[in-house]
Amino acid sequence: MSTLRQSLWMTALLLAGPAAQAHIASNGFLSLEVDGAQVSGALELAIRDGELAVGLDQNGDGKVTWGELRASQTALQAYVLGHVHLAGADGPCRMGFSAVQVNERVDGSYLWLPFTAACGRVVKRLSIDYTVLDAEDPSHRGLLSLSAGGATQTAVLGGGSALRLFELDHPSPWSAFVEYLRAGIWHIWSGVDHLLFLLSLLLPAVLARRQNRWEAVPLAAPAFVNIVKVVTAFTLAHSVTLSLAAFDLIRLPGRLTESVIAASIIVAALNNVFPRVTEGRWRIAFAFGLLHGFGFASVLAEMGLPKGARIVSLVAFNLGVEAGQMAVVLALMPAAYLLRTTAFYRRGVMPWGSSAIAALGMVWFVQRAWG
Amino acid sequence: MPRGRLYPLFAAALLSAAYGPRALAGPYVPGSDGTVLAELPSGTCHADVSARRLARGRIDVAIPLAQFYLRQSRLSGDLRYLGYAEAVLAPWVKQDPPAPDVLVLQATLQQSRHEFSASLATLERVFTVRPDDPQALLIRATVLRVLGRYPEANAACEQFARLVEPRLGALCIQSLRGLNGHLESAYAELEQLSSQGWLNSEKSWLFSELGEMAIRLGRDVDAQRWFQQDLKLVPTDFYVRAAYADSLLRQGRSGEVLTLLQGYESFEPLLLRIAIAQRQLRDPRQAQSSARLRAAFAAETQRGEAVHRREQARFLLEVEDQPTLSLAVATLNWAVQREPDDVLALVNAAKAAGRPAAAEPALDFVRTQGLSDVRVNAAATASVASR
Repeated sequence: MSTLRQSLWMTALLLAGPAAQAHIASNGFLSLEVDGAQVSGALELAIRDGELAVGLDQNGDGKVTWGELRASQTALQAYVLGHVHLAGADGPCRMGFSAVQVNERVDGSYLWLPFTAACGRVVKRLSIDYTVLDAEDPSHRGLLSLSAGGATQTAVLGGGSALRLFELDHPSPWSAFVEYLRAGIWHIWSGVDHLLFLLSLLLPAVLARRQNRWEAVPLAAPAFVNIVKVVTAFTLAHSVTLSLAAFDLIRLPGRLTESVIAASIIVAALNNVFPRVTEGRWRIAFAFGLLHGFGFASVLAEMGLPKGARIVSLVAFNLGVEAGQMAVVLALMPAAYLLRTTAFYRRGVMPWGSSAIAALGMVWFVQRAWG
Repeated sequence: MPRGRLYPLFAAALLSAAYGPRALAGPYVPGSDGTVLAELPSGTCHADVSARRLARGRIDVAIPLAQFYLRQSRLSGDLRYLGYAEAVLAPWVKQDPPAPDVLVLQATLQQSRHEFSASLATLERVFTVRPDDPQALLIRATVLRVLGRYPEANAACEQFARLVEPRLGALCIQSLRGLNGHLESAYAELEQLSSQGWLNSEKSWLFSELGEMAIRLGRDVDAQRWFQQDLKLVPTDFYVRAAYADSLLRQGRSGEVLTLLQGYESFEPLLLRIAIAQRQLRDPRQAQSSARLRAAFAAETQRGEAVHRREQARFLLEVEDQPTLSLAVATLNWAVQREPDDVLALVNAAKAAGRPAAAEPALDFVRTQGLSDVRVNAAATASVASR
């Protein structure tokens, strides 16, 4: 007993200090695609995990070669048949395997075992019973990616709850559309910076600059044209860069775009106080709109575009941004139009409101550029 | 960006969506049968499964085997070994009543997974049978210390000190005093402590505590000396290697960081330091390091685990330029653990995100505990000034 105590003591000491755990834990990747009554997919296991499951290293030299992996195929298939059970409404699906391959992941080589499963009837609800390595490594999990009808759901399999049920008819491109539309609206309303930029460009839309003074436009038509030009230019510009960034064609560092967005607010607002560009403000809207598009894209990058519904989601997000922006324009501009002849608007809102916006822009700029 | 409050859990969900684990290219067929796909670390062969089966029926096999796996996990930084240890311990933990030695190992396992309250609960079960178990007391002190519950940790240390060699007891107590408002004097006490006749693991404990204290005192040169001494004894001390790298990074010695960590790229906490150094040096290999870290954090988030949140927060802030997300992760991390580096992660993220108030819980902790750390002071002062 004393040697046992001694070695326990050493373990305790060795383990007492704070640990820096390095590797990620054991993950298997189960990808499934449901098409009618047929499921096609693959199970990926780290070579180490395959070794633990069935014993790949046949000559016992501590290395697993491609030849050894190929020779173990039958054992692997039998193991998967015993540890990954798929079932539809008609009961268990019948699994058939194709040749094993290798896939490289960040933490090393994985064996990639493709299979198909025939489930008898169109699968609306799939049950998955995943017990891979549950006896050897209870911390092993199966990271599931399940696609059906253009929508993908993910889940973590294994651990305490081996059997899981997945409804396949719920997710649809429509629900993705609604979700991304909402995200677009929510983003434009909660991110005041985009609105303040647009507002700075729209404040003078109901005025005209004559002899260094702001005068009310006499008619609704020129005001309306001004507004449409600015909003359209802004929309076009940010749609272009949002799409480019969403499909990963261009990427800018977050700090840069965020800082330039802040700078755009300063420029647009100061232009109202010390007018330089009085005609054709739509050009400012277009130029900086390109940068704002990258700002929108960073939000979209956080959400990710769902596989199979990428275009729909991108369009929905953009429409959401436009809708949110139009709602604000429609709410504010009629009031601006009615107030345009007042001194309050021309000598109050224009210089002092714009100055306040510029000041806020400067605070953001400093925070973002040096924060 | 003023997008309102991003709730931490929401942000964590976004993170996993943004950085979903991706394979690098796609499946392929290797060119020759002789291509080596993987080398198997010790104790991970299918043949070892027979030893594990034996362990199901014999506690005298189960305990050393679980210890072996725990030790391998510590030496290699490999989380898979914790799973193997768990499998070996599982039938014995379910016994009624379980053997105290089994529970001590279970508590160690839980601590390694950052399941701190579970670990404390398991230790309580040990104490009902063996109230004076030094190993259990030391683990308890360690867990409570990570949780920032210093008075309770101190009680565990004092009890521990009555049972072991006085110098080890002093090490436990002084390390805590160093966090608890007595940094200078604790450091002086430990500096004078002789480690003659100690095991390497005991010496390593002393050197790493001294190194960390020196860092908090702002004496980086001394700290680096302690770290070097430690790494000479235990080159696989990843924790100290990471602390050493951090100290070099703070001094702007990024090139030396890459040298120090060369060959350790497969250990995520060290890879984080590599990525930070590469970024500072504008080294193009940073893209690859970042991709690997993203995948690792994404897998962990998807699994709902929290072992690397501190590193994740730093990655988001110092490599990815995502202060808002970093703050969300650092806030989640602060709810779980409260070491000086956790304070730092939260304060830095809050500052960068333009929300200094979000760091208040950590700064409040610093004030009430009397934690002194030049790094925290510097960050907090700058934070107040920018308000």
